[in-house]
Amino acid sequence: MSSTGRSNLGRPVPAGAGIGLRPAHHEALVRGRPAVGWIEVHTENYFHDGGPQVRALERARELYPLSLHGVGLGLGSTDELDRSHLARVRRAVDRFAPALVSEHACWGSHDGEYFNDLLPLPYTDEAARHLASRVGQVQHELGRQILIENLSCYLGFRSSRLTEWEFLGTVVAESGCGLLLDVNNAYVNSVNVGLDAHAFIERLPAGSVQEIHLAGHTRKLVAECEILIDDHGSTVSQPVWQLYEHAIRRHGRVPTLIEWDTNIPELPVLVGEAARAQRLLETADGLAA
Amino acid sequence: MASLRELQAGFAAALHGQPAGLLDEIAADGIDPAGRLRIHENNARAAFEGALERIYPVLRRRVGDDYFRQLAYGYRELYPSRSGDLLWVGRDFPAFVAETEADTGYAWLADLARLEWACELATNAAWDPPLDVASLAWIPEDSVAEARLGLQPSMFCVSSAFPVFDVWQANQPGASGESVDFGRGGQQVLVACGPDGLELRTVAPDALHFVRALQDGASLGEAAETSGLPIDRLPAVLGMLFKTGLVTGVNGAAREKGS
Repeated sequence: MSSTGRSNLGRPVPAGAGIGLRPAHHEALVRGRPAVGWIEVHTENYFHDGGPQVRALERARELYPLSLHGVGLGLGSTDELDRSHLARVRRAVDRFAPALVSEHACWGSHDGEYFNDLLPLPYTDEAARHLASRVGQVQHELGRQILIENLSCYLGFRSSRLTEWEFLGTVVAESGCGLLLDVNNAYVNSVNVGLDAHAFIERLPAGSVQEIHLAGHTRKLVAECEILIDDHGSTVSQPVWQLYEHAIRRHGRVPTLIEWDTNIPELPVLVGEAARAQRLLETADGLAA
Repeated sequence: MASLRELQAGFAAALHGQPAGLLDEIAADGIDPAGRLRIHENNARAAFEGALERIYPVLRRRVGDDYFRQLAYGYRELYPSRSGDLLWVGRDFPAFVAETEADTGYAWLADLARLEWACELATNAAWDPPLDVASLAWIPEDSVAEARLGLQPSMFCVSSAFPVFDVWQANQPGASGESVDFGRGGQQVLVACGPDGLELRTVAPDALHFVRALQDGASLGEAAETSGLPIDRLPAVLGMLFKTGLVTGVNGAAREKGS
């Protein structure tokens, strides 16, 4: 799974382990060319006309298949779809030719104010239809399927009538999108809002999961109750690795990404986490039920 | 049951510390809904402040963490984010600092903010292939004044009545942070980001006016006239622009026949 020096432009992401590429690792990645199968970046960090970051990604994408992961569209917002932001996503997609494009099952703005956070939606028919409609608009604009990631939640809404897997299943069925299963988010939600993480993974639509995210979280006490914060600032926890084995048993060998966004360590730490995911993926056929 | 739009309106208010309209919509599950909402309130504030801290590290270092957080809080109330791209969170910060510090004796902080915002824009702008100074040789001598120069998209001009470049330089990572002599007066700075990274250089006031006029589309003759740049200094200023790769094109003047 190491890079070969051939151009990886437009090449599909392999069903192996990759890493989230952050600016702190641009030079180390290009210089060291570690044995990871692919890279993913936050789309918004590469919206601009030029500069060191854009040049670094242009070099990196020649070495590794690329995924663009958006954090700013807020597709569940009831404000008008942000056409200028979408145009910039399209420009980045045209420029960097990623193999995968993804966004989140969230909202992010109201009355023109952006909160620059991934905010939770109620699991209702109204919200699922709204999100599916927006996903459809994005797919139409980009001319390709996108993946939608399940969110980490710190609260649930009384109005939710669907389970999280029913909600995402509706979005998949109505929009034709795929899913990016964040296993850490599922675990975080099991502690924070009582999600049955095994059932969630089990019941996501067959064939819909096309990418998996793994990351670390921290524990915090709120009113003497434990809550998990999805801060992507540490190694993947043991319960999340166990859930991951369940996920690849259920959904097969799926491209898997190690995300790390705070307290970013040296690159070899991420590569080590990716190697662990790779070893599990290589046993996925044996794990399959 | 609240509509999705109503729910998001209540959530938006909660993110500004007014959760009352949303509390009944949140499932408690052992933790007070207000406590759950505070996690999101803190996350949104941290994202906003984090973006400002990344864009304005020198300003933060000069005013200290506590006052920087105060500035960020007040700024967000008046200038909330209007983009899903966090870069643009910083756009109006220099204007806000100017309003806040107008009568405090720290008016130079606004100019420092303008310099750091110029650095941010330069770092995200295109760097086109530079033009060699030999290109000017193609232009007949009597047409040079009509020539218009294309300049790097990543070049930005900052003019200040204070020595903001010295402040910026003294507060870079690894620098001493030594005090700056404000008695030395104002500085004019050209900011650009090329293949070797961010570069700042001070220029004379008339040279900066000259470059700004070129950026606005003036010909060499028009720019020299409006800026008051003496003709005998024109070669040196043009030489600096070409030598540092800041010129990307020449047009508007007839070329020598056969060139």
